[in-house]
Amino acid sequence: MTHNSSHAAGRRILVVDDEPDTALMRSVLRALQADGFEPLVVRPGAEGAGSALVGEEIVVTGEDFEAEALYAIEEHRPAGVILDVRFGEHRDDLFKGLGILGKIVERDPELPVLMFTQYTRGPARDAAVAGTLRHDARVDFVDKLASPEEVVLRLRRMIGTAPERIQVGAEFLIDPDAEIVYAVSANSEDGAGDGSPVPGIAIPEIQGMKFGILLELASAYYRSPGELVPFSRLERFSEGDDSRASLRVRIREIKNAMGDAIDRRLGPNDLIINVRNRGYRLAPLRPE
Amino acid sequence: MTPEKPERLARLWRYGRYFAAAVAFVGLLLIVVSPVLGDNASEKLWLIEPIAYIGGILLAAGSVLVAVTYIATERAVATPPGDSRQEWSRLTREYFDLFGHDLGRPLRRILGRARDARVRIDESGRNPDPALSELIDEIEQQAPTFRLMVSNVQVLIELENPAAEPEIEATDPARVIRNIVDRYSGIAGDRGAEITWWSEPEEFGVVYADPAALDHVVTNLVDNAVNHVNEHIEIRLTRNPTHFFVRVWDDGDGIPASYLPHVFDRGWTPEAAGRQERSSSGLGLFIARALARRCDGDVTLESVAAPGEDHHTEATIMLPLLERPG
Repeated sequence: MTHNSSHAAGRRILVVDDEPDTALMRSVLRALQADGFEPLVVRPGAEGAGSALVGEEIVVTGEDFEAEALYAIEEHRPAGVILDVRFGEHRDDLFKGLGILGKIVERDPELPVLMFTQYTRGPARDAAVAGTLRHDARVDFVDKLASPEEVVLRLRRMIGTAPERIQVGAEFLIDPDAEIVYAVSANSEDGAGDGSPVPGIAIPEIQGMKFGILLELASAYYRSPGELVPFSRLERFSEGDDSRASLRVRIREIKNAMGDAIDRRLGPNDLIINVRNRGYRLAPLRPE
Repeated sequence: MTPEKPERLARLWRYGRYFAAAVAFVGLLLIVVSPVLGDNASEKLWLIEPIAYIGGILLAAGSVLVAVTYIATERAVATPPGDSRQEWSRLTREYFDLFGHDLGRPLRRILGRARDARVRIDESGRNPDPALSELIDEIEQQAPTFRLMVSNVQVLIELENPAAEPEIEATDPARVIRNIVDRYSGIAGDRGAEITWWSEPEEFGVVYADPAALDHVVTNLVDNAVNHVNEHIEIRLTRNPTHFFVRVWDDGDGIPASYLPHVFDRGWTPEAAGRQERSSSGLGLFIARALARRCDGDVTLESVAAPGEDHHTEATIMLPLLERPG
């Protein structure tokens, strides 16, 4: 599932790393872009005076990398920061990221910061966590072997802004503002020609409370795939004495409408899963 | 023996050594000065011989004492009972960190290249060779396994350290589980399975626990479930007045009743019982339980291996609801 943004307000992510050229970091940057984020890399560069904006990078060529990174935050007002704990192999640089983190928190305690550590455990992480716990900050940790999808999910949760469009698998797109669900054609492209999905065929049957149910499930999935949406959060979209039966009927109708739009019959474990009288959750369709 | 005792003993021997050295020095001094005394005070010539003798005795005694106290001091410092294991643990951990760092770098490169290869295949617009896609999938899927393996080795070292204590801090268990589900959802999906999780109550709140230990125990159990699941894994976070619980349920084929008493044994695997090649180290459940017990909790396992649709395995982590430390 990806997020598609028509305008990038609040989607800029500052990436502060001394090695953004590694294949692993490139995959993270690509995943951020695919999710509608605008990564802007702050990296140390060759010796010289001042900084120069190179494409989507700010190459810091002076000695005071820390000051430049902080200046970039003030200048570009990102929605979040990805910060490496470790800068280089020198002993003094092992926790340089923590020093930068401390300054970021001092200036803007509300700014979400996701820190890259070597491993999920170990003295480096312990020191990083201990260094961070001193601050009442919005800070989280992820190790460098994490998948790009994991990094994106962490950022989504930390930033917490509602998406402008939510794509569910390859087949469906939900537009919360317009309250429309689209069945996306595999061949559709947008005007810019970058291949991003555009509204395909609108599914008119999903409106009102049915749209409310689907949006609640899709929003939960966007932030935390696998997390159940309990009945308590869905009952407001039901009517009558037996709210669960009412919900069951509406969800059946949603699945029928979405299945019809893509010529596929959706079974009990397809798209919207019921978990033993506790609630529902969204699961993108698997290939047939 | 308390840690202070060997220290005090070593100090005592060290002072004894200084005293012995002083005695030997006085002895040497007496031998040296005895002829001088004799020359300068001819009327006291009779003193030369006894002073030289006394000096000789003091020198010899002092030297022997220096040797004895030196050996005793070194032994007291080098091998105090109880400290040697801590020293070993500390050194092993240091070596491990160096090794882990060196190992992590090439692994990150391999993983990064695999992801680059996937992008290039996607951008080429051609249908890739299925074997190539499988290869890339395999490399990517091994990353969480490697992360867990590295952590497991580290936890094993920590468990060997008798002085290690759980590090209790404010912890959001829902956040811990959410992050683990992020990590494993993709792998489960590639194997045709789903992970669903929820907490009761819905707003679970903060508990005081060792977050690294909780993360590690749940990760081991989820990793286990992902390796044996058929279609569904369910993770449930609950609490009672004294404890909180994480239950990891999977609809895998289940564990035969005869195996259940052994699953927490160190290094035990079903293949080991059948003398076949091992599919895993057999350390995951052992580590999970040892870590939970160090936090005054436990891990238990319930499994049904019946034919039909009823087979499942449920691992339950139980940890105490601690008071706020300090």
